Amino acid sequence: MPRLIRVLLAAAAALLLVPPAAHADAPVVIADGHVDLGPRLVDSRWTLQIRDDTGDGPVWREPADVVLQVADVAKTTVPDDPAYAFLGTPGTDVWVLPQVQDQRLVWPGWNTQDPSIAEVVGREVDWRLHGVEGPGRFELFLTGNFGAPETIFSSERPYPQETGVEAGTHVHGNWVFTAPGAYSLDVEMATVDGHADRATLRVHVGPGDPATAFTTEPSVPPSGATPAQPAGPSWVWIAVGGVLVAGAVAAFVLRRARRGTDD
Amino acid sequence: MRVRAPSRAAASLCAVLLAVTACTSAGGQGDGDGLSVVATTEILADLVRNVGGDRVRVDSLVPPGGDPHSYEPTPADAKKVAAADVTFTNHLLLEEQRLIKAIDANAREGTPNVSLAEASETYGAHVIPLVENVGLDVLWLGLRVRGDGKQRGATRTSEVRLTATAVEGPGELVAYLTESLGKPVVYFDSGDGLSDVDSTTLPPAAHTHLNWAFTAPGTYRLTLRASLVNGGDEMPLGQSTFTFAVGVDPTGIAKTVLDEGHTDLTVDLDTGELYTFNDRAGGTTQEVVPAAEAVIEVPNKAITTVPDDARFAFLGSGGTSVHQLPQAVLGKHVHGEIDPHLWQDVRNGRAYAELIRDTLRTADPAGAADYDRNARDYLTRLDELDEQVRDTVAAVPRHRRHLVTTHDGFGYFASAYDMTVAGFVVPNPAQEPSVEDVRKLTETIRNLGVPAVFMEPNLAQRGSVLTQVARDQGVQVCLLYGDSFDERTRDYADMMRHNAEEIARCLA
Repeated sequence: MPRLIRVLLAAAAALLLVPPAAHADAPVVIADGHVDLGPRLVDSRWTLQIRDDTGDGPVWREPADVVLQVADVAKTTVPDDPAYAFLGTPGTDVWVLPQVQDQRLVWPGWNTQDPSIAEVVGREVDWRLHGVEGPGRFELFLTGNFGAPETIFSSERPYPQETGVEAGTHVHGNWVFTAPGAYSLDVEMATVDGHADRATLRVHVGPGDPATAFTTEPSVPPSGATPAQPAGPSWVWIAVGGVLVAGAVAAFVLRRARRGTDD
Repeated sequence: MRVRAPSRAAASLCAVLLAVTACTSAGGQGDGDGLSVVATTEILADLVRNVGGDRVRVDSLVPPGGDPHSYEPTPADAKKVAAADVTFTNHLLLEEQRLIKAIDANAREGTPNVSLAEASETYGAHVIPLVENVGLDVLWLGLRVRGDGKQRGATRTSEVRLTATAVEGPGELVAYLTESLGKPVVYFDSGDGLSDVDSTTLPPAAHTHLNWAFTAPGTYRLTLRASLVNGGDEMPLGQSTFTFAVGVDPTGIAKTVLDEGHTDLTVDLDTGELYTFNDRAGGTTQEVVPAAEAVIEVPNKAITTVPDDARFAFLGSGGTSVHQLPQAVLGKHVHGEIDPHLWQDVRNGRAYAELIRDTLRTADPAGAADYDRNARDYLTRLDELDEQVRDTVAAVPRHRRHLVTTHDGFGYFASAYDMTVAGFVVPNPAQEPSVEDVRKLTETIRNLGVPAVFMEPNLAQRGSVLTQVARDQGVQVCLLYGDSFDERTRDYADMMRHNAEEIARCLA
């Protein structure tokens, strides 16, 4: 049932440009169903990936291969409630992916439950936001007992921002965007003893072609926070030309070079 | 949860390790009568004395009976620190910040300055994250649909209807969701009678979280009936009765107490059963516990006050108190911070002693053999002490092992020796209790019927609230040593032995 729109790579272009040992999965736009951002060990390397539960079984994907589409039915207005003044003036439009699943929308969460990290994770994982690029503001918050919001990340605050995700947990929050268009979130998950990975989470909000979010660059270029292994340019074209199942729309797919940091 | 500057904890740990390794030549520079050591509290000083023996002179900065949470350093303290060959602190959140600053500013360059709580983790210390919001430090309870139900004809467009058909209990049970922008939606509410409106539909593979509110303490039984809706057809699945212990001790109500981590009341589309599906805290595997074998604990720390907001009137009028498991529990811990009272678990005291031994050896290599021998003897005594404390507490029946204290200083004791921290006046003794804190404390004592509460001798002045509440409720006030000694108890082993015996005497 999920409207999973798969962006198929033009095979010839991909073969020419995808580096060896790249992930096998094609880029996807996910518009509904459950996904989580989380760390796992891939070939013993701490790697930030997206767990995609929208198919028959879970699949872990590279963040560069995924656009989370915030469908226009997510549009609502800021309530006339002082507790929500941080989202803007009452009555203005905002796009909300709620903490609790709405079948019409993608339901992104975050988890530290992959068995591969159980031995290395310690008490908690540090989750950092290094920057947000997009046409509007981004807020991630939790709705508590009596509706009191608790902010986790906000594009209005200085970067980097950091929060903790306890080991072995799985959590959902409210993702709010204040304007339609393509966003990129520069995120990192790390342990205190040096495992770290940083990636760009791509989101498209409202009407328009979600695949444009594949080419949105992060506001803060990745730099020095973690030991990088730049093999060539920090941005690598992996595919030019794609086909949307629904529409035959050409898409540019950009992949940021992965920066493994442990071992 | 609080967003903070990155990894200060890691930085301070590194600073400690650097200081320890960079100071191998610092020993032997004293004035001839041994290594001079300064520790913040008497408890730490006693551990150092046991490991250091005759080779060290130990001073503690917080005076006998003083409270490290509020003690402010004097100019004389700064002089002691400046003259010390080694300094030991516990952890920022135990000692007053100015005390830590005074030590960091005055410790001589190149001398080890060790924060025991964090550094002892590498010696096997068990560390508990610092709880910021006790109301969130409870079970996270949701609803789930498992299985694909293909043999029943379920498809991705099917729905599972869950209906509350019966609630037994001393008050009302309300399950509701507060939506993203603050609007509550009621799923089940026994307050206005149960009918078809007390139902919700979930898609296959759904998973959702709710607030579960109870208007009076006691044992509740909630019966949920499930059916599968395929287009126009509705096919009955099973039904089960789930049990909740609200504010009362759950021991003996059912075999398995669900009191931490994450649990979903779950409909299994393949078997048609309803059961609890559980993620234990920190685990990576999940387990099924049948409804009849599980009791869901809603402890007194889940007491909360209904807001004066018409949207929440279904819970009662503003200002009344309810027990409530919240829909979101993230934020219960302060990111990166730990509960500083590690020594209340004797195995952690052991880890401190080992770290102290290695620090002294580094600062005074000539004394290595002495420190090794002293530590070996002391560790043996601590192992015996740990056994003794465990056996003493184990003599108290489990359903009576509830601690109500002045401040949140006994989480490690409870965790190590299988007790429950039922409540405290305030988390940190430097805080003043609110009217709500006092009411919550009173209800906790009454709901659990505890025979005694526990005061810390150094907090006697601040314990007036606890004494008053205890008197009103007609319960005994006993004494536990938390962060410091008094004139009767002068060492760590005596303190831990006293605590175990006092608990056995007052709660048995």
